[in-house]
Amino acid sequence: MNVGSQRAGTILWSAIAVAVVVLASAVIVAQGTGKEAPASAASTYVPPRTPDGQPDISGMYEPGWINQPMETPSSGKFWKPNNPKGSVGIGPTDFGARDAAEGELPYLKKVRTPMIVDPPDGKVPLLPWAEAKRKEIIDHQDKAQYLDGRVRCLQAGVPRANTPVYYNSYQILQKPGYVVIVYEWNHMTRVIPLDGRPHLDKKVRLPMGDSRGRWEGNTLVVDVTNFNDDTWTLGHGGPGEGQPYDTLTSGHGVVHSPDLHVVERYTPINEHVIRYEARIDDPKTFSRPFTVALDAFVRGKSDHQIFEYACHEGNRDGIFMATGVDIDPGQKAESKKDKK
Amino acid sequence: MRTRWVGLTIAAVTGAVLWFAFPKFAIETPAAQAAQSGAYTGPRTADGKPDLNGIWQVLNSAHWDIEAHSPEEGVPGGVGVVEGGDIPYQPSALAKKKENYQNRAKADPLSKCYLPGVPRVTYVPLPFEISQTPKHVVIAYEIAHARRIIYTDGSPHVESLEFWMGDSRGRWEGDTLVVDTIDFTDKTWLDKAGNFHSTALHVVERYTPMGPNHINYEVTLEDSKVYTRPWKMSMVIYRRLEKNLQLLDYDCVSFFWSKWEKTLTRK
Repeated sequence: MNVGSQRAGTILWSAIAVAVVVLASAVIVAQGTGKEAPASAASTYVPPRTPDGQPDISGMYEPGWINQPMETPSSGKFWKPNNPKGSVGIGPTDFGARDAAEGELPYLKKVRTPMIVDPPDGKVPLLPWAEAKRKEIIDHQDKAQYLDGRVRCLQAGVPRANTPVYYNSYQILQKPGYVVIVYEWNHMTRVIPLDGRPHLDKKVRLPMGDSRGRWEGNTLVVDVTNFNDDTWTLGHGGPGEGQPYDTLTSGHGVVHSPDLHVVERYTPINEHVIRYEARIDDPKTFSRPFTVALDAFVRGKSDHQIFEYACHEGNRDGIFMATGVDIDPGQKAESKKDKK
Repeated sequence: MRTRWVGLTIAAVTGAVLWFAFPKFAIETPAAQAAQSGAYTGPRTADGKPDLNGIWQVLNSAHWDIEAHSPEEGVPGGVGVVEGGDIPYQPSALAKKKENYQNRAKADPLSKCYLPGVPRVTYVPLPFEISQTPKHVVIAYEIAHARRIIYTDGSPHVESLEFWMGDSRGRWEGDTLVVDTIDFTDKTWLDKAGNFHSTALHVVERYTPMGPNHINYEVTLEDSKVYTRPWKMSMVIYRRLEKNLQLLDYDCVSFFWSKWEKTLTRK
């Protein structure tokens, strides 16, 4: 909210971030594909309890480190800052305002290893058709039908909704029998029942899927099925290496089929951070199940509020500029009429 | 902002005077009588408030027209939810309403998948789910995955911003959840019949549980740029009791894009 007063801080934090990334990159390149400890490592942190006895993870959260790469790049080397010497920025997904916010989030870990912790090569195990589809999507970003669902104001799907992006923040609420995740991004909401009820009839297909949760110790485990194939599996993370991937994010074009099955694990590892792990299975799209793990949720300031992300309502000009497609021709006629 | 608040205050005072001068506006429906009796005996949350958690829906024809209207093809008739019968439009606003009505098929913001606004989002013919904690009441609506976060922590409105769903701050008055909403755009309608408002709209909703499965829903709308005085609508919100019920997701924007992609293959 105090964006104006944070300008000086923005520049300072950008400079510090550049320095951190340069150092981290050097270390990672030197060590090869050094991995973080798997997210499933037992956490010793014991959160307080809600009145109905759930581990209490409720509150306001900011996204984790937005520049963590999703997968290991094809060369095995991680991307370097666009401008290692300069102070302009550290990559396409870096934004000054976000860096200013991070200045107030001391528990945010700036991790440079890939989100994909399994398979060990850190790659999305795409079947050949899905790899071809990914290339087709990336090569046709001037056509509206290939545009990222985010740009078309569609919901993110799961686990993509939890990959850190600068335009998202979260509120977790808990009530007896439920965990509710409120996303700022495109006003997505997940009301997750914990009572062991079965999944919806397979005939029901939803962009955010159908979530069923349970507590395993202090870890919230959510089983998600009943997807359609309108969403991308993952999105964002730092950009991949080489053209044209480096102009996009490493999650672009990783599609899935309606058979997608995601098992999510939310583990509070201390009072500030929730580690997130998602096992992603879809035999029609991936040669094997794979797992992402990241510190996805960092507790926000106590006065943090989720604001309205009205997306489609203001999207006409953006889509028109990107693709030449007018998604609301009627609006033109109406505004002409208004002028008369 | 100052001018606006002075305007709102004048409107509120004028409205209150008119309200007392013409008590016929305060119609005593059975629902209102039950709500006023203060005899709520249903379940309560851990902090002692009426437990509104769950899935709810309005069952009337306000979605098509909040005023009384005859049935037409595709439009169920309705006795109206506006107390006193007519919305007290200023003359120029009434002309605008009539124009909206003529153009309603294409001009209704809902037909473009835009967020429905408040209070319209309550009485579209789709359910919504309330999640209640001591400091927040979050309402997730099936239509367009719209959502409201109603702060009940005493925090003030944000000001000088415009939201499609407004900025909502709530408080409990006894067993009634009172929600005050401002900061609207002027781009949403109140129904499919073109009833409308400006950015000066101020909505006060009163959710009064009549029992475990019914809420008396009373809304006061004031807008000094459009109406001559504050006015009220009221209706009943019903708890959906079906087994295995779950809020789904009428993701209108995705239907829009599917339709658009079909036009590509036709070419």
